[in-house]
Amino acid sequence: MIVESICAIVALYASIRILAEKNTLRKLPFLNVLNFAITGLIALILPHPMGIAAAAAYFVGSTLESNAIASTFAKQSEVADD
Amino acid sequence: MDMLTEMVHIIVAFAVAWILFIATDIIFRLPEKGGVSGAKAIGEEIEKAGGNINGGYMMGNIVSSPDASAGTLLAACGVFIAGIWGGLFAAVLVYIGNRICHDKGYAGTTGAVIATFVIYAFITYAGFAPEQFIAGMILAILTIQGISHKYASKVLGKLWRLRA
Repeated sequence: MIVESICAIVALYASIRILAEKNTLRKLPFLNVLNFAITGLIALILPHPMGIAAAAAYFVGSTLESNAIASTFAKQSEVADD
Repeated sequence: MDMLTEMVHIIVAFAVAWILFIATDIIFRLPEKGGVSGAKAIGEEIEKAGGNINGGYMMGNIVSSPDASAGTLLAACGVFIAGIWGGLFAAVLVYIGNRICHDKGYAGTTGAVIATFVIYAFITYAGFAPEQFIAGMILAILTIQGISHKYASKVLGKLWRLRA
């Protein structure tokens, strides 16, 4: 029970930090913490061989999304600098 | 298992996971530069907020692709579900994840393989439970990415200067 509670509390805390942070690029590390906590919860709730695949798929997918958001912002700021 | 023992185990797992993923990432030179443009942008943004640029790059790289921290977490999930083979299966998934995220490095895969054996050793010889490493890794990433980007990047920058 302690392990699940830690995951849930960290997820809740990270989502509050995401809401409080104004800068989009600096939201992403907090989003990363949230993804870690949710990945942990998926594995804890689904102790089935496919649970590993589900947790990894969720994690890689959300990482790719963060990657795409950060790259798009980086390109936008380059255009703005020119 | 009583509550106190479990808490002590989680704290030990946290320390082990922290050292394991920071050491692996630094050995694989994650703080050197932003691997993709997004990681570079996050690093520069953290520097603007008063942090260290190398620490910022490492945090950007952690956000942009599964690194050793993700490897450790998924290895812990794998070992929790299916023992040592689950951990190694997670390492394969991390390898695929790295390729999907345009990451040319092997920090994630190496981290996952090392973490699988470390976690397995702690379970076999010290009476730990694998889920304690899931909680430990989540607390470890919280200290780096989730409390203060300014101070976390400075700590990472200091460790990087030891390596560089």
